[in-house]
Amino acid sequence: MSPRELTFHIFRYDPETPEVKPHTQTFKIPEEPAMTLFVALNKIRDEQDPTLKFDFVCRASICGSCGMLINGKASLACKTLTKDLPSDITLFPLPAFKLLGDLSVDTGTWFRDMSVRTESWIHTDKVFDETAQEEKMDDDLSLEIYEAERCIECGCCVGVCATANIRPNFIGATGINRVSRFMLDPRDKRDEQEYFEVVGNDDGIFGCVGLMACDDSCPIGVPLRGQLAYVRRKMAVAGWHRK
Amino acid sequence: MNSYDITTTDVLVVGAGLAGERAAVAAAEAGHNVIILSLIPPRRSHSSAAQGGMQASLGNAAMGKGDNPDVHMYDTVKGSDWGCEQDVARMFVETAPIAVREMAHWGVPWSRVRNEKRMYEGTEIVEDPEKVGLINARNFGGTAKWRTCYTSDGAGHTLLYAMDSIVIKLGITVHDRMEAIELIHDGERCYGVVARSLRDGELHVYIAKTTVIATGGFGRLYAASTNAIINDGGGVAMALNSGVVPLGNMEAIQFHPTGMVPSWILITEGARGEGGHLLDKDGYRFMPDYEPKYKELASRDVVSRRIMQHIRAGHGVESPYGPHVWLDIRHLGEHRINTYLREISTIARTFAGIDPVKELIPVRPTQHYTMGGIRTNKDGKVYGLDNLFSLGESACWDLHGFNRLGGNSLAETVVAGRIVGKKIAEYTNDATLEVKSNLIQEHVNKVSARMDAIRARGKNGENWVDIRKEMQMTLELDVGIFRTGEHLQHAVSKLSDLYERAQNVGLMGGGGQGADPELVNAMRLPGMLKLALTIARGALERKESRGSHFREDYPKRDDENWLKRTLAYWPEGAKLPELKYESITITEIPPGDRGYGESSGKK
Amino acid sequence: MYLQKALTKSIRTDFIVEMVQMVSGLLLVLFLWTHMVFVASILLGQSSFGALAGFMDKYELLPVTVVVLIFIFAAHIGAIMRHLPARWAEQKVAWRHAKMIRHKDTWSWLFQIVTGFGILLFAFIHIVAVTYGGISVSLSKGRIDNPGFLIFYAILLLMSEYHASVGLYRIFVKWGFVNRHRLDRVLGVVTLLMLVIGFVTLGVFLTLKVAGGGVA
Ligand SMILES: Cc1cc2nc3c(=O)[nH]c(=O)nc-3n(C[C@H](O)[C@H](O)[C@H](O)COP(=O)(O)OP(=O)(O)OC[C@H]3O[C@@H](n4cnc5c(N)ncnc54)[C@H](O)[C@@H]3O)c2cc1C
Ligand code: HEM
Ligand code: HEM
Ligand code: SF4
Ligand code: F3S
Ligand code: FES
Repeated sequence: MSPRELTFHIFRYDPETPEVKPHTQTFKIPEEPAMTLFVALNKIRDEQDPTLKFDFVCRASICGSCGMLINGKASLACKTLTKDLPSDITLFPLPAFKLLGDLSVDTGTWFRDMSVRTESWIHTDKVFDETAQEEKMDDDLSLEIYEAERCIECGCCVGVCATANIRPNFIGATGINRVSRFMLDPRDKRDEQEYFEVVGNDDGIFGCVGLMACDDSCPIGVPLRGQLAYVRRKMAVAGWHRK
Repeated sequence: MNSYDITTTDVLVVGAGLAGERAAVAAAEAGHNVIILSLIPPRRSHSSAAQGGMQASLGNAAMGKGDNPDVHMYDTVKGSDWGCEQDVARMFVETAPIAVREMAHWGVPWSRVRNEKRMYEGTEIVEDPEKVGLINARNFGGTAKWRTCYTSDGAGHTLLYAMDSIVIKLGITVHDRMEAIELIHDGERCYGVVARSLRDGELHVYIAKTTVIATGGFGRLYAASTNAIINDGGGVAMALNSGVVPLGNMEAIQFHPTGMVPSWILITEGARGEGGHLLDKDGYRFMPDYEPKYKELASRDVVSRRIMQHIRAGHGVESPYGPHVWLDIRHLGEHRINTYLREISTIARTFAGIDPVKELIPVRPTQHYTMGGIRTNKDGKVYGLDNLFSLGESACWDLHGFNRLGGNSLAETVVAGRIVGKKIAEYTNDATLEVKSNLIQEHVNKVSARMDAIRARGKNGENWVDIRKEMQMTLELDVGIFRTGEHLQHAVSKLSDLYERAQNVGLMGGGGQGADPELVNAMRLPGMLKLALTIARGALERKESRGSHFREDYPKRDDENWLKRTLAYWPEGAKLPELKYESITITEIPPGDRGYGESSGKK
Repeated sequence: MYLQKALTKSIRTDFIVEMVQMVSGLLLVLFLWTHMVFVASILLGQSSFGALAGFMDKYELLPVTVVVLIFIFAAHIGAIMRHLPARWAEQKVAWRHAKMIRHKDTWSWLFQIVTGFGILLFAFIHIVAVTYGGISVSLSKGRIDNPGFLIFYAILLLMSEYHASVGLYRIFVKWGFVNRHRLDRVLGVVTLLMLVIGFVTLGVFLTLKVAGGGVA
């Protein structure tokens, strides 16, 4: 069986040269066994166009660098096998993030800002005591926290969310999931009203209109629908109680 | 004149992995102004890829009962094949439990001891009810006790996220997509770095009282590595370029027997632990021929060596990615694979499109960790330049000697971050900020001259892709698991040629404007070759076998002549690294038998 | 925090508006279904329909319903406006985005917006027609016999049922009480049922021989 020839249609745009209009460029390469988009894109860059911009770090679906739209579906390029795709492959950068060039977007700034706004750290008055044993925690609870913490900040859920594309301040499913992670954690001493101030608004949970593209796209399988609903219910109760 | 931004700060940390961030936190807590530079957003650093866990002798798990820093110390020293600094190891093992608990305080959802019985290798494990809810530990190679604390399959991820949350909480400035390329120094003291933005290609100068390098490992010098693709040693090369900073034990490179072809993603030892076999191209199980007693379950370095030996004998499976062998777990049955080896089957399915229930997994020993790096004293202070510190995988603090134990490097990042971070804070208290502007200009000019030269050569220059590939293949083939004088000599001369060619690297694509990725890579190339040469030359000169450094022509450990650490310098204008040696600090455990591997005499 | 935001906005506003949106949506669904039962009473015979119409007449329920309905509509629209791609540029982003990611629930949201505005227009005409034209078996038949009005009703029916079904789906999904894909199917069946009843009713009206010389 002779290998397929893959035709890539890749979005090209360099903000440094705005006079060149955004366009898609076509590249052809022969498919290899077990080829991922990581391998394919590097091949294109090494052999055909060394100026092509894209981001990979771990190439093992761990670091979240390589989210992009692959034939319209947001996913991690490094874990996408070409054999699961048709021979025509269209690649676009993730929407909603600042475009740095070609397939590369600035997720770092977005996520740092989200973390600051949701105050994504353990809030506690306790001072760490070097001599003390750690506080106990039920293993099931630690698993539950880890389930939310598995998010790798790839931004796929943000890129596909129409709301996030229209409203730059919306923290997205990943932001709401982040808040749920701290809500679950008994080490964080914030009460429901403090969380309400963080996410009980249109930039937070009440900005979500339930499009569920996030839930359909998370490459890690973070249970986003459940996390969104959990936070929504908690925040409704908090909103109800609020004076 | 070239224009550039100048930013001043108290402490400048290059690298936003666990090590860099922990040190930054320590400095910020002491009231210093801190800026972190990173190639990528901090949470994408390779620390997040560690799945296994970190070692700390808490002794909570039933199988870790009775564990304490002394046992941990002994495992670590033995693992290092007596190559480590024992005073460093002592500090490390004493601090590791505190570091783990501190990370719990900061939010890591460590897996906890569960109130349930379970079977392991035919024996029943019953947890102590008193310990239920405390931080749990799992089994790792080379340890006498179960000591590796973990969070399901995401220890590094949860550690890094918790650490970064503290960085954010403290409001520490992070400049991501900012590559440090040149130390600003006058031969005695370091004043900061010249960096280049990967967003727009602009140069930036960072001036600091104290500069810290925590840029991680450099596995990507090899063709096949389990490392992230950004792990190409830029920070370490930057230190070496100063001409006065030595790198320690660069020849100490760890290989893991089962990296999956062609992505080189790690397949854990568990697959063989559960009873997986290694097969050659004829489907023949070859390990029993080489290691009749331990077969596939001999120690990591031994298995790696045997696989390569077999491939060299022509029994490897040919593939577009080079020869490999097969890992066969089919006989374990669907149930066992999908329950106990779930991670492996997910990785095989996702990255190779292979169902390990029915198919063979292509594997080959793969570069995994760099024990060597920027040589520091036990405070993390770099040799040769004042006001400069280093820690984490980029440093040779020397906790690992010639072989790192699994789980000790994550622990090293946070432990060293605590210890070295405090020292950095103290040191910065006394430091002043004064730098001559022409010194800055000199270093900026040096960098822009290099860039201009590359741009000017354009298509007439060398293609960085070709040189990098040749370098990677040279290290892979000649400075791999098996080393001989002949191959190492070949590697040194080949790499020297490549280093010469790298001086003439050009651009095949655009004009190298803005953040052109080609210019970025071309700029890195000479530094990578320098590192490659320190590895090859160090290995060539070290005429013994110790830990991961195995010389076929000198298969025994030689404490009489070689109980010492290699220091590699690269004086200005030199074509090869200059090697010196220093003695190893042995405070409590004199060299002895490791009890595994060839150096113990069992072959 | 910005000055104007700090001065004007109660922190609960977004929450309250969200609740208004949901409750008004639910009330409208309730109305739609009740309304369907009312109109479909013709299936049980002209007398049932006539009786209901007479009942409404007798207690002056029509103006009350209209007023209440206007309130609910206003609340619903008011609450919803804040989520909509309001500016033209945002509209373009939303539509291009949906095309790019080819995602079903995103499309259905855009259709919800379109049908919402369609309903607004159509329902206005319809309500004017029934309030000023009056309601009785023959009056209603008279309208439905007009092909223009028939098509108008068919479109209004489709839009309303689609909008209500998607709206319900969204509420359930957002609050997270049920499995998404099973919910999809249940609501699909319900909607289909309502459509069938609606069209059969229209058919019955068409084929109707008005008894008693057109007197309700
Ligand atoms: C697949 C894999 C699994 C592992 N599993 C385990 C395990 O289970 N247990 C264990 O103990 N260890 C494990 N390790 C090893 C361990 O993960 C690493 O040694 C450790 O995380 C290194 O941390 P670090 O902070 O030193 O560097 P890194 O986390 O690699 O961070 C380096 C940082 O430096 C930055 N940087 C690099 N160059 C520059 C530059 N020129 N300018 C600016 N910034 C720069 C990068 O952006 C990054 O932020 C594993 C390693 C691998 C590859
Ligand atoms: C028969 C009349 C109507 C019914 C039964 C109805 C029902 C609903 C319901 C149940 C929802 C879901 C509410 C939520 O998610 O909380 C909804 C949402 C919506 N409605 Fe209506 N509605 C009606 C009329 C209208 C009109 C006239 C408009 C137009 C302006 C409109 C526009 C919308 C929009 C755009 C949404 C989506 C809002 C969002 O999720 O943010 N609806 N509707
Ligand atoms: C006060 C408000 C309303 C009254 C009194 C009313 C009354 C009626 C009556 C009497 C009919 C029968 C046909 C006719 O007489 O022309 C009818 C049909 C219909 N109405 Fe209304 N209506 C009201 C509001 C609405 C609203 C708000 C909607 C949509 C959102 C709606 C949608 C329909 C539809 C789709 C039909 C056709 C029924 C079918 O398909 O069988 N109505 N209505
Ligand atoms: S929730 Fe999932 S899709 Fe969203 S950023 Fe995290 S990993 Fe990516
Ligand atoms: S796609 Fe967006 S609107 Fe809500 S359900 Fe997901 S965040
Ligand atoms: S490169 Fe890290 S997730 Fe794809």
